[in-house]
Amino acid sequence: MASRRFPFIGGLTALLLLLWTAGGTAAADQRPDAALETLLSDARAEAARPGACAAPAADSLVRIVCDGEIRLGVRHHYPLFGEMTGGEYSGYDVDVGRAIAARLGVGVDYARVNAANRIPMLAEDRIDLIIATMGHNTPRDGQVRFIRPHYYRSETILVGPRELEVEDWSDIAGRSICVTIGNGSNQNMVSQGARLMLFDNAGALPERLQDGTCALAAQDDSFFAYYFAQPAFAARYDVKFGFAQVPWGMAVARTGSQRLGDALDLVSQIFHRDGVFLRLAQENRIRTVFLEAQQAIWSSAACNRAGGNDDPACVLPALDAAIEPTEFAARVEAFEAWMKDRTGVALSLAMLKTKPAWTLFWSGVVNSLMLVAGALAATMTFALLIGAMFTARAAPLRWAARALTMVLQSSPIVLTLVIMATLAHALFAYSTAVALCATIVALGLANGCNAGQAISEAMRTLRAEGAADGGLFQRAVALSATQIVSFLVNATKGTPIAAFVGAPELLSALTDITSFASGRATTYGLLLIFYILVVMAVMWGCGRLRLWLERRQAAA
Amino acid sequence: MIQLETIMDEFLPRFLSGMTVNFEIAAIALAVGLGLGLLLALARLGPGAVRAPAILLLGVMRAAPTFVVMFFLLNAIPREAVLFGVNVSPSGVMTVALSLVPYSAAYIADNGVEALRRFRAGSRLGALLFLPNVTRVFFVLVMSSSTGAAIGVHEGIAVILQFADRMPHLGDKLVLFGIGVLCFGAVLQGGFALINLLHRHLGRRVAAGLAAAQTPKG
Repeated sequence: MASRRFPFIGGLTALLLLLWTAGGTAAADQRPDAALETLLSDARAEAARPGACAAPAADSLVRIVCDGEIRLGVRHHYPLFGEMTGGEYSGYDVDVGRAIAARLGVGVDYARVNAANRIPMLAEDRIDLIIATMGHNTPRDGQVRFIRPHYYRSETILVGPRELEVEDWSDIAGRSICVTIGNGSNQNMVSQGARLMLFDNAGALPERLQDGTCALAAQDDSFFAYYFAQPAFAARYDVKFGFAQVPWGMAVARTGSQRLGDALDLVSQIFHRDGVFLRLAQENRIRTVFLEAQQAIWSSAACNRAGGNDDPACVLPALDAAIEPTEFAARVEAFEAWMKDRTGVALSLAMLKTKPAWTLFWSGVVNSLMLVAGALAATMTFALLIGAMFTARAAPLRWAARALTMVLQSSPIVLTLVIMATLAHALFAYSTAVALCATIVALGLANGCNAGQAISEAMRTLRAEGAADGGLFQRAVALSATQIVSFLVNATKGTPIAAFVGAPELLSALTDITSFASGRATTYGLLLIFYILVVMAVMWGCGRLRLWLERRQAAA
Repeated sequence: MIQLETIMDEFLPRFLSGMTVNFEIAAIALAVGLGLGLLLALARLGPGAVRAPAILLLGVMRAAPTFVVMFFLLNAIPREAVLFGVNVSPSGVMTVALSLVPYSAAYIADNGVEALRRFRAGSRLGALLFLPNVTRVFFVLVMSSSTGAAIGVHEGIAVILQFADRMPHLGDKLVLFGIGVLCFGAVLQGGFALINLLHRHLGRRVAAGLAAAQTPKG
């Protein structure tokens, strides 16, 4: 019985062993390591064939194996990511490149790249791979082939003194934030009522933070990484919160790099899973929040397989930076080309070419015109009101008018505006309407007080000349027409300052537009023309008003 | 409540130092405005070929809002602008000062034309009004230079805002704003008082000169 059972048990055991081995082999085949080894073995075998290395159509991976080195485009002046000191490259990007070369079994030839030339250098086959702090967005997908998974992710962070209590967006209305002109995340902060201070160069931000010019500074976390690596800076400041995340991608050329791209996808996957990226980030003292999360993802059974980098559940999408054009974008471009051909002037009408820019621009124009109309109405109203108070029989009214005028005449308009905005923010939650109303009241009060004083002086003159009491106030208004007109014009000229307290007028709108579009000089040139025309129109209108008032005065 | 020591030891020294930047900006804007404005005044009184463009230019300069001009300069002039091998990219202070030049030059030109007309009409006293008017525009420029706070220039208002940002309570912020109004007000009112004194003094001297000229000799 026992002897009959053994062949059965032996057969079953053999079958189970066979199934286990087959299953194990199948499981091993699905791991990225095996797929990478297959790709590399094939490339090495192809490179070993006579004449393969000289073949012009060889895939980049074969050529790299032939040359024994990979040509790597890295930045040379980006602290903690890509730096060159004394002829030596260092930083996270550089170390990642070195680790990749080691995994491919080749050496590295570094090339200096910057934001402007890195993609052209790849297209011209001067480098094989870019690792240069490059954000992965949808428009770039048409220019290069990004390696997935992404090797890092940056975000805009708000940095401020540790003692400053800022936790989320609700805490930044009315605060001064130092930013760089053209930063795509500026519009997020403006829309929350922050007061932006603009700088050309990011290097000015930590400096301005330290001398207290701004309460907060906003910039990429990769930029601040260097400063947080300094113990004194880290002790004084912290990250309040981050937003506007952008995944960073290594990239290869779109043509002739199929196998190189596939191999690097697998290397990137393995580096996340094994914590290679994380270790290199720690060594370079940069933020590791993203890499820690990625390690967990790529260690999971669902993603740790050869096809994991094609799975939308494992890889991050590119930042959708494609901007929908307006219906008339083509005509605007044709006009720009026509101008360039005829006059040599390179216009860039960014505000007319994309839908978000056009929406911002149009609402900016409407808000500005509302602001001008409101400031004119408020100035006239306060002028009449304060003029009446100045000439009132009740002494307390006269004293109040005098005190108010004295205070407002002593305050620079920017300070008056800030005081009014601070009071408005203390009373109401931030909104476009609140910011616009605060500005209208501030401009109306500041200019109306002066005009009101002029009315009271005219009234005094009329009384001194023994004018009859009937209709004296109207005659005083007519007599001070020139003064009133000059303060109405002054109020109009002051309206763009509303941008300083976060009111979404045209200057604010165009600052937002230039943060995601080109053509700053044209944009601000057009803004200047717009305001000059508005002020000229107001001057013309006020001139007519003055003539009318003077005629009434003459008739009286 | 904000501490008195904080105001005296920290805020006031930095604020007063910031206010000197306001004076610096105003002085530059006035100096450039004087040069340009007097040229434009002469052009306005000159022959038709130069008068018409001068009038047009003055009209545009009068209508240009300082704040927008500042942002235009900030964005239109490249940071690495080089002229004859020299970097001519303006600093923050210079950008604010240049943005005040259209206003300052137009004001000087208008007052310069008026003074020249009065002088030609034989009114030396009337022509002398030009001097107090120039002094007056200087104080207006000091107040207007506070727009520099928007682009991070470390002038008086920027210092007030910097300290106000640190204050969690509205009352403390208002104390700082009040000090700012007081200090700027003292400068402005003091300045206007000086202008009046200067005007009276010059008037007396001119009147004395005229009287001496009319007194029969011998």
